[in-house]
This record gives sequence, C-alpha cells and structure tokens, in this order.
Amino acid sequence: MKRAGPLGVALAIAAVSTAAACGPKRISLPIRQGESLTVLLPDSDTGQAGDARVANPFGGVELTSERDAALAAANRAPVLGTLSEADIQKIFGDALSALPPPPQRFTLFFRFESDALTDQSQALIPDILTAVKKHVVQDVVVVGHTDTMGTQQANYTLGLKRAMMVRNILVDAGLDGSTIDVTSVGELDLFVRTADETPEPRNRRVDISVR
Amino acid sequence: MTNSRWSVAALLLVCTIATPAAAQDRPVAGRIKVATGSAFVVRDGAQLPTQVGQLVYESDSIRTGVDGKIGVTLNDDTRLSLGPNSELKLERFTYAPADRGFGLVLRFVRGAATYVSGRIAKLAPGSIRLETPAAIIGVRGTTLAISVLPE
Repeated sequence: MKRAGPLGVALAIAAVSTAAACGPKRISLPIRQGESLTVLLPDSDTGQAGDARVANPFGGVELTSERDAALAAANRAPVLGTLSEADIQKIFGDALSALPPPPQRFTLFFRFESDALTDQSQALIPDILTAVKKHVVQDVVVVGHTDTMGTQQANYTLGLKRAMMVRNILVDAGLDGSTIDVTSVGELDLFVRTADETPEPRNRRVDISVR
Repeated sequence: MTNSRWSVAALLLVCTIATPAAAQDRPVAGRIKVATGSAFVVRDGAQLPTQVGQLVYESDSIRTGVDGKIGVTLNDDTRLSLGPNSELKLERFTYAPADRGFGLVLRFVRGAATYVSGRIAKLAPGSIRLETPAAIIGVRGTTLAISVLPE
C-alpha cells in the first residue's frame, strides 16, 4: 500500500478546498477504482429533476439540478460537479435503454355499498386495456379499497370483492387472469382521511397499476 | 376474555409464521421487464439466467455480463436498470401501504445503473437508502444514474 507523502497530502487538501471554493466543476472521467458516480437526471413524467443527497462519513453534497453529479470515494468527502450529456450517454446509455416504461395507474370508483362501478369509471376500462396491451409481458396489480363504514374485516372482504370484480371485467375483456394480482387493503389506505364510520365515495375505489 | 384474546394472538402468530410470502420465503420485490444478453438473478449464492416476466425477491441480486442488460419494475413502481458488467442487490424491499410498512435499500455493487423512484419515495422517502461502496444516497422523487468501479 503506497502512502501519500506530506506534499501529496497538502496537494490533496488544496484540491479539496479548491473544489469546495469553486462549486460545481467538471468531474474527471472515467472514474477510478473505489469510486462511485451519482448523476441526477430529469424525471420522465415531469421533465424536472428531483433532488438527492450523496454522503459518507467525510461529508455530503446535494444534487439539485439536471446533470449534477457527485463523485465519491470511501476515504474522502463526495465532490460535486456536472456531467455533459455526451458523458451521460457514454457511461449510462446502455443502462438507460434497459429502463422499463413507466407504470400507468388508474383509479376506479364505486357506488355506495355496491360493487358496481360509477359510469365515469366504467368508461375508463378501454383505456386500461390499451395500456396493458402496450407491454410485452402483461403485469397488472389490482388493489381494492373501501371507506370506513363497517368493520375492518367486512371492509377487507368488500375491497377484495371489488378488486375481483374489476379483475373479472379485465379478464372478460381479454386479459390473462393469471397475470393479474388481486389484493385488498379494506379501509386501511384511505384516499381521503376520514373518521371511522364515515361514508366517503372517493375512498370506495380500486387502484390499478399497469406495468 | 383474556384467554380468548391470547388465543387470537397465538393464532395470528401461527398464521404469520406458517404462510410464506411466495414460493420463496421472502417478499416478492418486483418483476424482470427487460433482459438481453447475459442477464442473471443471483439468489442464495446461485447465479440463475433470467428472462422477462420472472419475479425477483427481497435480497436477490441482478447481474449482467459483458453483453447484458436488465430492467426491473418493483411492486411500488420503482424502476431499475443495469448496463453491461453490472450488479445491484435488492437488499431490502417492504411495500405494505395498509400497514404503513415501507423500506427500500439497494446496494449498487458495480457497473452502471439507473434508478427511478416509485411510490415509496412519495409515501416514505426517509425509508429509502441507495448504497455504493463509497457513499449513501438519500432521495425523494428522483431519477438517478449511478456508476460504481469497485476496489
């Protein structure tokens, strides 16, 4: 194991202080052994970048803008910089091309104490089928929900009944039932927070994720 | 009264222990959506060739060879992908909205990966931890690309 001499240490300290003083800078690529590089990309749904914090015991940096990057090694604080679009494509192009398409979510609502869909929700079924057929492998998750009227156990059962009904609609429309996952959370995951024993149409729903 | 309450508790406990989450005794984390070239799931130390549609479980790793790529969608709609010569471990995955149980720990072992946050990032961002050998990454709703060159 080679140790840095006093000059090396001084240069390293100077390099760290310079980096801190000058703010974001170009990161030297390719990364070296023991290093990791984290880059913030825009979210595909909004086009905006979110934010992330990269930290280790020596310090941390915030990534807040598109292409902000943190270069980290186990023995020093992460360094903030930016990456060019070309470098991002070069390093991450293959990985980015393998990213699955974003899941699509649908929410169907029910009539009061009923397993019948509202007319508006019934009209969404063709959109759900279109979304499913865009995927090579069918993968649909159906989760039943209720409002807080009645007992938890009864609502679990009612939520499952609603989810099963939606599943059956989807199967009748041509989807493979074996790839539809059906569950219920009853009254435990409310869309609108209410007290117990409160009728709330927006809590009587089935969430569907097509992915 | 007390007795019957204990019986219920005992029964619940037995059910919890006796019912595995799936074929594996670990929770399903997600599903392979993209697999090209040499693409593997590593489970209990065994490297298994993977294909589109296959389930992945908590504590599985995904791994690619020189010509491989993998894309995964987790049950909370988190999306992950790997370029060639890469590896990522699904260290922890808990997504139980009804119990308010959330947790996602991913270990980026080597190579190039992308991460697009899902429902857990919206519901419990503090329960997410992305680890590389050199740092820990905390996220809210975020798309990230991560590259690791191990020692």
